[in-house]
Amino acid sequence: MAVAELERESLGSVREESLSKIVFRRFIRHKLAVAGMFVVLVFVLAALFAPVVAPFNPYKQNLGPAYGNPSAQHLLGTDELGRDVFSRLVYAARLSLFITLIVNFTTETTGTIVGAISGYFFGWVDIVIQRFVELLISIPTLPLLLFFSAMLRGITVPGLPDEWSQAIIISGVLIAFGWTGSTRIVRGMVLSLRGQEFTQASRALGMNSFQIIIRHMIPNSLAPVIVGLTLGLGNVIVLEAALSFLGFGITPPVPTWGNMLQNVQERMWQQPWLAFYPGLCIFLTCWHSIILVTRCGMRLTRASSVDGCPTWRCFRLPVAPDCLLGLWWRRRR
Amino acid sequence: MTNYLIRRFFQMALVVLVASMAIYFLLWLAPGGPLDELKLGADRRTRFSATDIQRVAEYLGLHRGPVWGYLAWLTGEDWMDIVPENLWPVSDLTHERAPLQRPICRENKANCGRGVLRGDFGLSWYVARGAPVGEVLLSRLRNTLILMTSATLLSLVIAVPVGIFSAVHQYSRLDYLFTTFTFIGTAMPVFWFGLMVIILFGGNQSPIYKIFNLPYLPTGNVTLVRSPLAGSVLNILNAKPGSWIDIAVHAIMPTIVLSLLYMAGWSRYMRSSMLEVLRQDYVRTARAKGLIERLVIAKHALRNSLIPLITIVVFQLPGIFGGATITETVFNWAGMGYLYVYALGANDYPVAMAFLFISAVLVVIATLLGDILYTIVDPRIRFS
Repeated sequence: MAVAELERESLGSVREESLSKIVFRRFIRHKLAVAGMFVVLVFVLAALFAPVVAPFNPYKQNLGPAYGNPSAQHLLGTDELGRDVFSRLVYAARLSLFITLIVNFTTETTGTIVGAISGYFFGWVDIVIQRFVELLISIPTLPLLLFFSAMLRGITVPGLPDEWSQAIIISGVLIAFGWTGSTRIVRGMVLSLRGQEFTQASRALGMNSFQIIIRHMIPNSLAPVIVGLTLGLGNVIVLEAALSFLGFGITPPVPTWGNMLQNVQERMWQQPWLAFYPGLCIFLTCWHSIILVTRCGMRLTRASSVDGCPTWRCFRLPVAPDCLLGLWWRRRR
Repeated sequence: MTNYLIRRFFQMALVVLVASMAIYFLLWLAPGGPLDELKLGADRRTRFSATDIQRVAEYLGLHRGPVWGYLAWLTGEDWMDIVPENLWPVSDLTHERAPLQRPICRENKANCGRGVLRGDFGLSWYVARGAPVGEVLLSRLRNTLILMTSATLLSLVIAVPVGIFSAVHQYSRLDYLFTTFTFIGTAMPVFWFGLMVIILFGGNQSPIYKIFNLPYLPTGNVTLVRSPLAGSVLNILNAKPGSWIDIAVHAIMPTIVLSLLYMAGWSRYMRSSMLEVLRQDYVRTARAKGLIERLVIAKHALRNSLIPLITIVVFQLPGIFGGATITETVFNWAGMGYLYVYALGANDYPVAMAFLFISAVLVVIATLLGDILYTIVDPRIRFS
């Protein structure tokens, strides 16, 4: 009797906390991650309100103060055509962040859906999808991206200004070759999920495959996808910058963080900030995405896992996040 | 195992075939190319006539159209004289059928293209106009091999001990230091890192020379193009253009940049692999039977933790051939990656296709090699 009462009491006293609350609480606890989020937020806000934030027109050439040093008027100096570097950085954030967000959300969503279908249906569907994925992986990523960007350079999307149409082409190329990573991971997880009792139970209860995929397979394999998404934020921004830097991405005069580094070699000892600040923006965004993963990513799974299992293994991740970091990163040297 | 290898071999061949088709047909669809330039021309006198353009197309073998073009690229054109005339593609310039073989091949069989499968990648269109692509690639191979092998070896030699140390002393102060370094290295875009290193250490304008008065490093080009200025490392070492010292000094900066970045990823990989092994039961057993910790690590944990490293090392194989595209561009290092970017920018498709094709073949081989090595190192893994 007493035991039952005690149990009731203790059960009653434990207030149920929602997952998002736990995640938020744990996130707040980590100072570096919060700082990182703050920096990224500043970038996003600057990009959104670029016309208000930027003191000058980023395209306005001014031959008087070309290669100007940083001053009260031009915070970060001026470039070879006398354009205000700070304003260009702010406008560059627009395209760079837009491409990153679009590419990441699309690749992770497609990757998850395709991976879930491939893993759940198994059989010939899986074979076809996996062979296709292997084919895509069999060519080194950066040369392939360069190749497609070079090929599609001339194409414009009707009804859009030049830079946005270029941005969409680049995003398309990055999406076309970006979805394979999450596909493989989600497939691996779904393969193990589909054999478990709850899947059989839902099938016995009369759920069709589509419902099972949506209700059980995808939500249960979301942890690594979130990791991939966060890591991808940094990865895509660097890839896009690399393409632009090599001259296959967004072409000047439209500024992106990558192509602002294109012509700095000539005067980089006299005006090192021309090379420094655009790279710093890329670096900060990428770094914070990694911090978010390694700190909050851990926390996320810890919060949502059963038995307080502290490692990633309870989610049957095929690789630890550290390794993911290594693998993702391999793509862009 | 034999059955498995045979099956894998056929799969590999299929993947390579499909990849080669994708590469060829996509480049066929791509705008630009040597004929486009000829079609420009402001007025009648300077513009090329249709027959002229057709002649150039036949000379380059572009008149064949995508399907015959692909076959010629893959298998060579020396057998194409057996193709009956009614299968020849109609030129959209002259509206006549032209023979599939190039005129130079019809004259003398020795001049025929032998196709990619027999190691003939055709002629370069722009980078080295008229030179065989194979020769162009080979001329760059040495530089890439120098850079990539030294960077790979250097980073492996450092990354493995660092990763093991971090894992054994998890959450120690040094582990945090290495972790921070890893994150920074991972987040650093290589083109930016390269530029910063050049600004700091390269050329006689750099702070290392101007402020600290130390010898500076050369900023670009694989070898000397003119005698080094005073204050340069090259001047102190009295390097001759093209000598090994010259190349080695030029390789210092790109090698260090590249290996620092590789190291960042690989030490992390090594660390998590080692942590995984240290959690295993047999490590606990080894400790329980009273083995000293150093021996547990060296004898029981280390070997097993090195297994996942195979993937990295094997997948570095295509990289060693392909070079580091961005690093080579930043440091003006005339290697494969740099050549590829240049060829793409100049629409030199035969060179770009050859690069992509060889890379694809190497990736496929590396995958197989990795799988086989796994079975050798870890007998628990079996293929049926």
